[in-house]
This record gives sequence, structure tokens and C-alpha cells, in this order.
Amino acid sequence: MSDEARLLAELHAARALVRAKGPAVRPSHAALWAHAIRAPGQPVDLALERAIRSDPDTARRYRTLLGAQALAHAPLAAAASDGALLRRRVGPFELEILEGEDGAPPLLILRGAQAPMPRTIEAWLGDAAVRLDLGEPVEGAILLALDPAVPEAALLGRMLRDPACAVFLL
Amino acid sequence: MAGLGITIRRIEESQGVARSPGTGRRMTGGYDERCAADLAGVGEGRDLSRADRAWLARVVTGAVRPNRDKPLWDLAHALAALARAGGARDGRALVSLALDPGLATPAAVEARFAGNAATDARGLVLDGGWRTGWSGLARLLALAEFVLTAEDLAQFATVTGWLDELAASPDAEGAAFLAKRLARQSAAYRNAHLPLAPLERRFRAILVFLAGRRAFGDDDILAFWREEMRGGERPGFRTVAEHFVTFEAGAHLLDGLEGLASAASLAAADGWEERLDASLADLTAAEPAEALAALLAAWPDGPKILTGAEREDLADFLRLEPFHRTRPLTTLRAASFGRVQSGIANRLRRGGGGADLAERAACTEAETYADLQARAGALAAHLARMLRIAAALAIAERDGLSPQTQAALEAAEADLRRVRRAGFEDRAALTAGFAAAASALLRLAEEAGRLERALAALDRQRPLEAAFAADRAVFAEALTAAYAGEAA
Repeated sequence: MSDEARLLAELHAARALVRAKGPAVRPSHAALWAHAIRAPGQPVDLALERAIRSDPDTARRYRTLLGAQALAHAPLAAAASDGALLRRRVGPFELEILEGEDGAPPLLILRGAQAPMPRTIEAWLGDAAVRLDLGEPVEGAILLALDPAVPEAALLGRMLRDPACAVFLL
Repeated sequence: MAGLGITIRRIEESQGVARSPGTGRRMTGGYDERCAADLAGVGEGRDLSRADRAWLARVVTGAVRPNRDKPLWDLAHALAALARAGGARDGRALVSLALDPGLATPAAVEARFAGNAATDARGLVLDGGWRTGWSGLARLLALAEFVLTAEDLAQFATVTGWLDELAASPDAEGAAFLAKRLARQSAAYRNAHLPLAPLERRFRAILVFLAGRRAFGDDDILAFWREEMRGGERPGFRTVAEHFVTFEAGAHLLDGLEGLASAASLAAADGWEERLDASLADLTAAEPAEALAALLAAWPDGPKILTGAEREDLADFLRLEPFHRTRPLTTLRAASFGRVQSGIANRLRRGGGGADLAERAACTEAETYADLQARAGALAAHLARMLRIAAALAIAERDGLSPQTQAALEAAEADLRRVRRAGFEDRAALTAGFAAAASALLRLAEEAGRLERALAALDRQRPLEAAFAADRAVFAEALTAAYAGEAA
């Protein structure tokens, strides 16, 4: 008897749910996921990017998807610090910016004790975002020149110096 | 005022209205808005058929026997097989498969995976033991999307982590472990978003009332409602009628429920799957036609084929589908006295009371069955007329038609010229508007016609005037007794 009543209650709720027209979320999870796992430099859906930048709820969903597949991520400021941040930890990884001398571009160094190493970095600051390919590690470290002549690399350098920058290592 | 709050809570609880613990929002029908949105996200995103949506809703609410966790067990094994076949190194690849809207149908799934290492001619296999067909796999991927995206992605990272672990050891053992985790997660989801306990209490009361009977009549519904009213539960008459709609759809499942749990042969379980699906059949059989209530709710903008008031009237008559065809007396009772009772409940909710409440409870304002019959007839006639106009608009080339058909179309044209409604002036826009509404119009016209015929048959068997007078005495007595405390 008790299971009979339970089954009827479950059926009643199922029938009501099929009738209910809940509002579907936009953009879809599938579209956000495809965006989250895209290769750097791959063409992106501009409307989707705009939605992520302008709609806080879409941004939250996107970062949830991004964070879940990241090797490591620091969704908000990793360290409370005054002024520019030149070194921060993201999970088991350490990121350091070495200022270039004699006109050489600054260098981003990513070290981590564990394999696998990330292949992509994505940084968020406010509604600005940048995603770059990290290249292959050499002796346990990844080196990336933050060349001022390459707009995305320069932007990444500026963002990483801000403690409020969120970092995802993918 | 605190007393009033408690009164409202009591009314709502008795009507199966619970509140979501997180948001405090009211939840009716045994689910909350979060659950409806989670399911809609998967259903819309994958453009699922109504049958697949119904299956998914059933799995989420737990209406699966003998073991409500069986679909999660199947899902875990399917993911293990896919991880092994695809050589997935981490959970990401599995997430990509689960979220891919291109894998929503059996054909698409077969095209993607057939010939793959983990498949045979009929579907997916794990270790030669567990298996599922292509249509089963398509449904399981929809379920995978649901468990990943549920609670607006609150569990996404956790579940992705579990899939990482599964990908590291994609065998029967890993699958069984994942199945356990998913079962726990889904039980927690039901606790948070599916307040089934009040519904379960109501159905238990119906089972006790019917004392083993599976068949019931209009007067059983009324007697049960009166008993609940006397017991202080004070459920809405319409709500009770809705519960009887589900009872009727599910009653054939109840015999042998215990036997199923103990015998649990695979063949028996398979038969149950079909019977459970069939109990949702009035929502799914007419696919792609929708439930009548959904049809009315989603009525397209455009020419005023139906006014807002007409849509509301139709929704009122048809909301107890299929009772408008099979139990016209309950349909009339809900439309007449159910509305009186909702008025009382609303008035209490707003904080009113006093003399007006006593007056309402006396049912002096209740709409008579004869008036309701006339209104149903007018609606049926209006829909039939709109249907003829739709035909006239759709058929421009009439030379080859029989003289009778041509005459009928001419009559419809004349009718069209007499209609004074918004959007009926511009023929091109009107034609497009009617074309967009054609299938919904056809279905509604059909159902309104069936209601009209059911009411006519009822009138012959149990004259409506006398039936209304008798019912008014019964409802007035029950409502007055139940709400006397508030009216004083």
C-alpha cells in the first residue's frame, strides 16, 4: 500500500512536469560547454561571447563549466595584495611574471610539480577575457613571452598583475 | 495576522502546495520551479520527443519500478562503456558526449557509435554483461545531461569529478561505484525539489477510501472530497479531481506491485517499463500534439481566433483531461463549485473573511450546469466556425471541388466577413495566423465537440437542472461547515 501511494505520487508529479512549460535556459549548456572547451584561436560565436560578458548569470554558468574542466583554477583573487601581483598560486601551479630587461618582453613562467601540465590559460577580469595556448613544457616549466606586440599576450600580462583576475588552467 | 498565515499554510498544504526550502516559493503538483527549469533545459536543448521527456520526468520523480535507481545504474554502465570505447582519458570527453544535442535520437546515436569497440549490432555493451539498445542510449545521454546540469549546474563540478574517476577505471566496478553516487545525488535532489509527501498522503487516503477498488465514479470523487473536507484537510475539489485523473491513469499498475518487487524477473520489469510509460500516455500518445492545457497556454499571437476569456474558459473545461470526455459531471462540478472554492481560498489568502465568505460558501453565485453547458456549446460552435474559416483561407483554388464543398467554403467566407475581431481585417496576415494555429485549433475543436457530446449524454441520463440543485446543497453544506471558522 505505501509503495502504491508513493508510485502514484511520483506519477502525478511526472505528469505535471511534462505538462509544465518551464523556461529553458539560454544560451544552452551545450553551447557554453562547446565554448569552454574550444581550442585557442578557434572561431567563436560572437553572440555567445557577448552574452557571457554582459549577462552575469550566463557568466556564472560559463565559469562553472570552465572551472569543472580546468586542471586548476582560481576563480577570484588568489592573494590579497597591494599593487601589482607578480606571483600567484593556482591550485598546484605557480604563475610568475618576470619583467623583461633591456626592452625584452615580460615572461610568464608556469611551474607545477605534477603532470599533466595545462595546455591553455584563460583569464577573466571584470568582463574582459583572454584565452591563450600555453605551449609545451620544458623541464617542468612553461614559458610564455608576454609580447607587447601581441595584443592578447599583452592583455594577459596586464590582467594577471591584477589580484582580482580569475585564472583557469585548462 | 499570524493566525491567518497559519490558516493559509494549512489550506496550501492540504492542497499539496509545499514551499521550496531554499526560496520559500510555493510548489504545486509535487515539484518546484527549479526542477521544472532543469527538465525544460534538457528537453528544449535536445529537442526531445514528448515520450522521451515523459521518460526523463518519470526517472527524475522516481516513478520507475521495481528499482527507481535502475536508470542511474544503466547510465553509469553506459558511460563506462563509452569511456572505454572512446579511450577517454578524463571526464571531459564524457561531458562532451552528454551535452551534445546532436546525440538526442536513436538514429544519431547509432550513426555515431555503431561499429565502435563497445557495441554490437543492437547497441552498447559493457564486458559482455550489461547492454542497452540505441534508443536506450539516447535516453541515457539525456539523463546524463540532467544529472550534470541539475540545480542550474550546482553539481556540475562534482559530477565531472566522478566522471574523471570513471574514465580512469571504466569497468563494471567503476560503473557500480558511480551508480551509487548518482543514486545518492538523485535522492537528495528529490528531497530538495520534489515535495512528494503531501501527494503520497493524498493518494494513500484515496486508496483507503476506495478499499481495494480500482474503478470509481463521479460520486466517489465527490464523496472522497467531502470526507477530506470533514477531516479538516480542505483540499480543493479540482485538486482532488486531478489526483483522481492520475489515479485512473496509474490504477492498472497497482496490482502486482509487490509481486514485482519480489519476483523481479527481467521480463516482468520490461513489461513494467511499458506500463509505466502507458500511464503517461494521454500526454504522449497523441504526439506531437500537446496536452490541451499546454496547447492553450502556448496559443500563438496573431488574429484573435480565441480571446483571452475564451481560452480561460476552455482551459477550465479541459484541465482535467481526459475527464471532459469520460466524466462530464466531475468536469461540471469542478467548473462550477471548484471555482467557488478557489474564490474562498483566494479570499482567505488575501486576508478577507466575514459575511462575504459565508455567502460564497452557500454557493449562491455558483454557475449552473445548464449555463456551463450552454457556454461549452458556444465554445464548441465558435471553434467549429473558426475551423471552417481556416479551411476557406487555406483553399484558394476551388474549381475542381464538388458543388457542396464550394458552397460550404462560400458560407465560411460569408461567416468570415461577419467576424469582428482584431486581426481579421488583413487577409494575408489572417491566413498566416490561421495556418500557424491550425493543428491546435483542430485539436481544441475536436475536444470541445467531445465535451459538448458528453454533456448532452449526461443531461439525458441525469438531467442537469436537478443534478445542479442536488450538488449545490452538497457543496454548500461542505463548504459552509469547512469554512465556518473563518466566516465567523
